[in-house]
Amino acid sequence: MDTVKLTIDGREIETTKEKTVIQAAADAGISIPYYCYHPKLSIAGNCRMCLVEIEKMPKLQIACNSMVNEGMVVKTQSPQALEARKAIMEFLLINHPLDCPICDQAGECSLQNYYMEHSLMGSNFLERKENNRKREVFGPNVVFDAERCIKCTRCVRFLEEVTRTDELTITNRGDLSTIALFPGKTLDNPLSANVNDICPVGALTDRDFRFKVRVWYLKNTPSICPGCSTGCNITIGSTQNRISRFKPRINESVNSHWICDEGRYCFHPLTEVERLTTPLIRQEGGLVSSNWEAALAPILSGLGSATPLAGLISGRNTNEEAFLFAKVMNTISPQAALEVFYQERDLTETAKILMSPDRSPNFRGAREVGVNSNGGLGAWIQRLVEGKFQGAYIVGEDLLSLVPDGEKIKRALEQLSFLVVQDTHLTATARLAHVVLPATNFAEKEGTFTNRRGRVQKLNPALVPPPGTLQDWEIFNHLLEKAGEKSSSLTPTEIFHQISVEVPRYQGMSYSAIGEQGILPTNVSRQP
Amino acid sequence: MAVEFSPKTLSRVNNLISRYPHKEGAVLPVLYLAQEEFGHLSQESIEYVAKLMEIPTTRLYGTVSFYTLLHMRPIGRHHIQVCRTLPCALLGAEKITDFLKRKLGIKLGETTTDGKFTLSEVECLASCGTAPMMQINDDYYENLSEEKVEKILESLKGTST
Amino acid sequence: MEKILLRNIETQDSHTLTVYQSRGGYRALQKALKEMTPEKVTEEVIASGLRGRGGAGFPTGRKWSFVPKDNPKPKYLVCNADESEPGTFKDRVLIEKDPHAVIEGLILASFAIQSHLAFIYIRGEFAFGYRVLEKAVEEVRQAGYIGKDILGSGYDLELIVHRGAGAYICGEETALLSSLEGQRGWPKLKPPFPATHGLFGCPTVVNNVETLAALPWIIDQGAAKYAALGTEKSKGTKLFSVCGQIQRPGVYEVEMGYPLKRFLEEDCGGVRVGRKLKGVIPGGSSVPILRWDEIGEARLDYESIQAAGSLLGSGGMIVIDDSTCMVKAACNIAHFYAHESCGQCTPCREGCHWMEKIFWRIENGQGNEKDLDLVADVSRHIMGNTICPLGDAAAMPAGAFINKFRDEFEYHIAHKKCMV
Repeated sequence: MDTVKLTIDGREIETTKEKTVIQAAADAGISIPYYCYHPKLSIAGNCRMCLVEIEKMPKLQIACNSMVNEGMVVKTQSPQALEARKAIMEFLLINHPLDCPICDQAGECSLQNYYMEHSLMGSNFLERKENNRKREVFGPNVVFDAERCIKCTRCVRFLEEVTRTDELTITNRGDLSTIALFPGKTLDNPLSANVNDICPVGALTDRDFRFKVRVWYLKNTPSICPGCSTGCNITIGSTQNRISRFKPRINESVNSHWICDEGRYCFHPLTEVERLTTPLIRQEGGLVSSNWEAALAPILSGLGSATPLAGLISGRNTNEEAFLFAKVMNTISPQAALEVFYQERDLTETAKILMSPDRSPNFRGAREVGVNSNGGLGAWIQRLVEGKFQGAYIVGEDLLSLVPDGEKIKRALEQLSFLVVQDTHLTATARLAHVVLPATNFAEKEGTFTNRRGRVQKLNPALVPPPGTLQDWEIFNHLLEKAGEKSSSLTPTEIFHQISVEVPRYQGMSYSAIGEQGILPTNVSRQP
Repeated sequence: MAVEFSPKTLSRVNNLISRYPHKEGAVLPVLYLAQEEFGHLSQESIEYVAKLMEIPTTRLYGTVSFYTLLHMRPIGRHHIQVCRTLPCALLGAEKITDFLKRKLGIKLGETTTDGKFTLSEVECLASCGTAPMMQINDDYYENLSEEKVEKILESLKGTST
Repeated sequence: MEKILLRNIETQDSHTLTVYQSRGGYRALQKALKEMTPEKVTEEVIASGLRGRGGAGFPTGRKWSFVPKDNPKPKYLVCNADESEPGTFKDRVLIEKDPHAVIEGLILASFAIQSHLAFIYIRGEFAFGYRVLEKAVEEVRQAGYIGKDILGSGYDLELIVHRGAGAYICGEETALLSSLEGQRGWPKLKPPFPATHGLFGCPTVVNNVETLAALPWIIDQGAAKYAALGTEKSKGTKLFSVCGQIQRPGVYEVEMGYPLKRFLEEDCGGVRVGRKLKGVIPGGSSVPILRWDEIGEARLDYESIQAAGSLLGSGGMIVIDDSTCMVKAACNIAHFYAHESCGQCTPCREGCHWMEKIFWRIENGQGNEKDLDLVADVSRHIMGNTICPLGDAAAMPAGAFINKFRDEFEYHIAHKKCMV
């Protein structure tokens, strides 16, 4: 790559020649304001907010469309550049309703932020503001407020260039130009809600998040989407120990700047359930509340005397949990049939841009760390239905409701001499168990997922688990302790370390090296 | 009623498309044909043309809405377009427009109830040396006076096109 | 003065191939294809000093020379016949009365850049001109001046006459290309420039009707003869379309450097009897107005008009006499640009409309004393900051009207009525 030296605001910067001024500046930590520019979309150059002074050029230039040049001298803070940007701000605000107090974008709005940075002046606009469409529903996840729109066309370009679904366009011209759908059509594609994220102002907002909470009250936790095995990087926004939204977190090796709509809203069914807060044990007449000591006590012997034994863990459990689960099961019965829940569905071409066919974010990882009897889930279910198992331990999945042969499964589970179910809520499957253990969900735990492509990424707890529950890995720790394993009571960090010692593919990996972007083990094996 | 080109127009369309280096280049001429054949560019016609031209419907909608000569709503048989830009305004365009409004009993942008006349104000038609002027459908009428406009209206009232 | 551009238009049936040929038409094409190389044609045009007559005045031959020779993509020549700048109606005369001069020029230019497909983008409203051109193209196709192996030279050229659909902005060359690509007429960012990335991403030259119409004469008579006309930097002749409050409006061919005052008073007959000249917009409504007392010794060439405080532009001359209220005139022009702004970039989309609203308020007796500085600010903030020159085209006249007729605006604001 050819290197180029240029000067931006008096600082000499070395960069490569395919960069634009806006990119070179950003790399050097100099931020040039912009609205229409987006690193993943074509250059539109329409907002004119990134106007800068470039020596030897007769006019101000937009930094987003100026390629760097050897010896170029750029001034982002010259009086001329500042005046122009201030003017752009004023132009953008003349017809803007200034309804920040009721706008969801407030707090993360470029218009608001740049106004605070640049001008803080009153408007010279004495005319009546143009009225425009408000609250126009574009689709299931997107609502449009034309008055706040600055016509940057990021949404139009996203739908043309990324999803290639072309739902939006600009109609009319001059100050009547506006973003629009074709009459009678809706904006409904598997990635539609990304337009809300890329809208730099409050024109496109998320119907699910609208009016829920002001963004400055959100606690933001970097994590991984539990929706499928793509492993999109997300930021969990939570308030009062509830999830308010998922936002995509940039990771060029995984999801770039985007997440799919299904993943974005998957926290609702996963977290908004009536939680189990005490263990339950089966007595005459049904399941009754118990305590951890009493609930854990019979498990080893119950399962131990119910061989052949089956174990099933959710693909939303972490590597650390799967690793311990396999250990627990193998301790009880080395012949135990262990599987990770996995189910595929059909995806459209647009969906395939990000989505994987399954809904098991850690399918690959759980198998790699030991939950793998090489038979496959189909064979495992077949054996279950045929009554080949005497006991089973099912973690985190409501098997009954998820597979087409629910009735057969139900009968098979009822036949078992001992069934342990570990989950966040009382599922149909859990209702059949002899012992039910209240566990945690993806947003409450720490640990790692390995995505479909083998990338190991870190989950961070955004929520505090309800009192009375235990983390899945804590439960397995207790069981291992009861089984006489010395090295019990491990933390996720310690468990990961153990994985890195015992599992070949993870050899030599360190938990701290995973960071916020994840890592690919050096000796990557192909799809298992 | 399904919107569709007649076989004859369709062959014109195909001939047009074949002349352009990219199919999309033929969009404007094909829209003109559609407007000629269907009267105006309704939603259905836009959808039809988009399919024919293999471009996204929404994008074509954006294109149609950009141009003043493409109509998404029906207009009168005679579309009277009075130039309002400075050279015509200096020589009394406003009076011509007022006269037409009175004569036709409609406001700007409206169509007479019999569907014969639509009255619009338009920007410079590059006929400034013969101002004030107007265009009715394809034809220019120049050096206008109220008397002249009255005669033009009379002559059009009798015609059927 | 020998007429170059208007040499044929007085002749009966000047629009037909027969008449055009009888007057020496397509002689230049014969000469170019049989005796000259494309490079020689370009050199000849550079030597003639011909500058683009669309408004910008960029040297035509040099514009051609930017087309890369080694680019494997097809090259396109586009004739800009989207004449829409208020006050400009010179191209229409050429299109309707001398279409073959335009077409011959187009073939010459295409040959020079080795384009094998050329377009004439004609504004949609010119329905008559479109039919004239279509007919003329049919004639030259029959005559073998376009098509395969033109005049046995081995050079091929196809020609498409393409109608615009009503948008002033499409006269801007990159907007024209967007429109020709079947899109909204949105100007494109520069760089890249059309010479390398134009129509459908291919090298493209866009030339104005009048520019092309001058080529046959230049090639036929020689660059030296053309360059002998006009001034040092503005060579040859130019068309001026004169309109507004003047005795003899019309299209005039004038040798560059001709005195403006004499032109207005003698050639065009001056303002109407009993009226006094108040100002003249010399190059289409987008250039700054010249006040009557600024005309002085100004001459009709690019440099002299610029020195006088305006631009030669398209040569669309709007004459305004003392019966006209300058506030109303400014209001009219501001409305034009607000209506024609494509809406793509912020300063033009918001600023044009804002200026129109302020002018409207002043005109309707609701102005205040800060308004004039405000318009000046708004126009300054549009100027130079937009994607295409439409922003400047709206900003320049607004600023000029206020600067040069400030007293009228102030009177309007103070008295809530017109001083005229």
